[in-house]
Amino acid sequence: MSREKLRALGLTLPLLPTSTVGSFPKPPELAEARTRFARNQIALSELEALEKKATEFWVRTQEEIGLDVLVDGEQYRGDMVAYFAELMEGFQVGGLVRSYGNRYYHKPVITGAVKWPGPLTVSWWKWTQGLTTKPVKGMVTGPYTTMDWSFNDYYPTRRAACLALAREIRKEVEALIGAGAKIVQIDEPAISVRPEELPFAIEAMHVVTDGLPAYFITHACYGAFETIYPDMLGFPVDNLDLAISNSALDLLRIFEKDPFTKDLSLGVLDVHSHTIEQVGQVKERVMRGVRVLPPDRLWVDPDCGLKTRTVEEAIEKMQAMVVAVRDVRQAVGNAGR
Amino acid sequence: MKLILTNAGSYPRIGDAPELQRHRRAYAQWERKEIGEAAFRKVEDEVTAEVIREQIVAGVELPTDGQIRWYDPYSHFARGLEGVEVNGLLRLFDTNFYFRQPVVTGPIRRRRSILVSEYEFARTVSSRPVKPVLTGPYSLARGSILEGGYQSFTALVFAYAEVASEEVTDLAAAGASVIQVDEPAILGHPEDAALLHEALALLSRAKGSASLVLHVSFGDAAPLYADLQGLPVDVLSLDFTYSSKLPRLIAEVGAFKPLGLGVIDGRNTRLETPETVFPVLDEVLPKLPTEWGYLGPSCGLEFLPRERARAKLETMRRLRDAYLGGHA
Repeated sequence: MSREKLRALGLTLPLLPTSTVGSFPKPPELAEARTRFARNQIALSELEALEKKATEFWVRTQEEIGLDVLVDGEQYRGDMVAYFAELMEGFQVGGLVRSYGNRYYHKPVITGAVKWPGPLTVSWWKWTQGLTTKPVKGMVTGPYTTMDWSFNDYYPTRRAACLALAREIRKEVEALIGAGAKIVQIDEPAISVRPEELPFAIEAMHVVTDGLPAYFITHACYGAFETIYPDMLGFPVDNLDLAISNSALDLLRIFEKDPFTKDLSLGVLDVHSHTIEQVGQVKERVMRGVRVLPPDRLWVDPDCGLKTRTVEEAIEKMQAMVVAVRDVRQAVGNAGR
Repeated sequence: MKLILTNAGSYPRIGDAPELQRHRRAYAQWERKEIGEAAFRKVEDEVTAEVIREQIVAGVELPTDGQIRWYDPYSHFARGLEGVEVNGLLRLFDTNFYFRQPVVTGPIRRRRSILVSEYEFARTVSSRPVKPVLTGPYSLARGSILEGGYQSFTALVFAYAEVASEEVTDLAAAGASVIQVDEPAILGHPEDAALLHEALALLSRAKGSASLVLHVSFGDAAPLYADLQGLPVDVLSLDFTYSSKLPRLIAEVGAFKPLGLGVIDGRNTRLETPETVFPVLDEVLPKLPTEWGYLGPSCGLEFLPRERARAKLETMRRLRDAYLGGHA
């Protein structure tokens, strides 16, 4: 079903397409430039030049590694919610809140009606797609996660805030599609922690994606299978991206009880570990998917954004993944003959 | 009717103004070994005194020490125990706050009392009685990885309950008249209500003349309300922000224990109004078996920016005074 949709969109992808969840580490010179820009020590043009340089580096790196569906690497974004909150109307930068240890961040506050101010990520998407013939995913943070990771001083309920955000985020998705994006990923990592709110998270996703001509992916996070499966199949997207790298879950048993009805992206690399996965280890994780779903419905990627790894770790992890997938493709292809 | 204003636990240790960032700077200097342990502990003392004062000025009658010294509610206890190591970061329920997960490797024993020195310091700098707060044995066990020392999750709960009851004994002996035990994890595991009951019975036997408050948060307490009422604690304190049905349920079922009403949302910046708080009080207060209850935030206030935490407490006092003034 989704293969047909991909073909209709003009996309021909190999069996077990490889991709990544979105973010890549920022090279040290860019990280430093961001700090200096925040202190008004360098001009915006200087920062942007480094962001473009880093983006181009990651595009070339993804091509060299042999990934099938590319991302821009989010070199121009900080936090995945704050980036959109700072650009959209209706938000204010909040006070400092501790996230752990001595780490603090500015949690955004919704203080008025949220409003899309015009394209936010579209110029980055276009610029990145211009660097490569491989498809580049459009990447936005979903309405539920944006709501959950912000304070809400304005809307009467969490649901109202979520749906208002959905109407505005749809405009960004439309703009990405208008610019030519055929695959759009809408991240909802917050969704597995309050299962009782899943119905309105799904309602919001309908607002974002209904009737739009793109292949939609939603990335959730650890624990989604345990807490919101199978209800999460209600998300109106083509592909659900879920972490399995660290999980001992018996997918076969889960899918026997409640069949998986979408394409599945298998998050097979543990992005929170410095250790580089062995090719054999990744192959085994991919095979866990192949044993339970037809291979033409499976994608392979890391289990989260790679931004917390070093540049070298991120590259080596992706290399292990791509080599493993080539081996599995061969094995699956041979078996099919 | 008397509503005693309290805090549920943590309080933001820094604010946005440079003069309110002393703790953050000292922490970084201490991590880089630019200042010694004693100098950092002195800053923790000063900030503890500061946040106790801030709570009292805002109207709180039963403050906490703000848990300024806690890395998080789990590893703070784990670090004081033999047989428990501290592992990587894990998300705390549905928050954006991360705690370091305890890993149990062998028999759990206290190296020393964990909270008594903190409590004693807080008492010396507070003009009001201070309420010590401990993470309960059930939630500690739920948040831990069990690698050795115990054969089962149940055995681990009782091991934690043993050391928690020693803490309760020490705190009561040090003069604490109200001791709060946090058990947020039970709301996600209603099937373990009987286990929680047995574990809390150990703490209850250790409390002496102190009053034991059970606080549950980060979830809807309504499905478990009847079981919670039967637990061996003196006061039941509830997070009202996850359930619109809880006040009605209490109005229907009644309350056999004094209640703590966590109606001030400790997770969102929006300030409460009479329209949101008074209907809850209208439903619940007539059902209290005592002429008093606690009014407080739904959870510790560390999830809010500092100025908003203070504003929440001030709002709480204004609402309490307006409500009781109008219902005297």
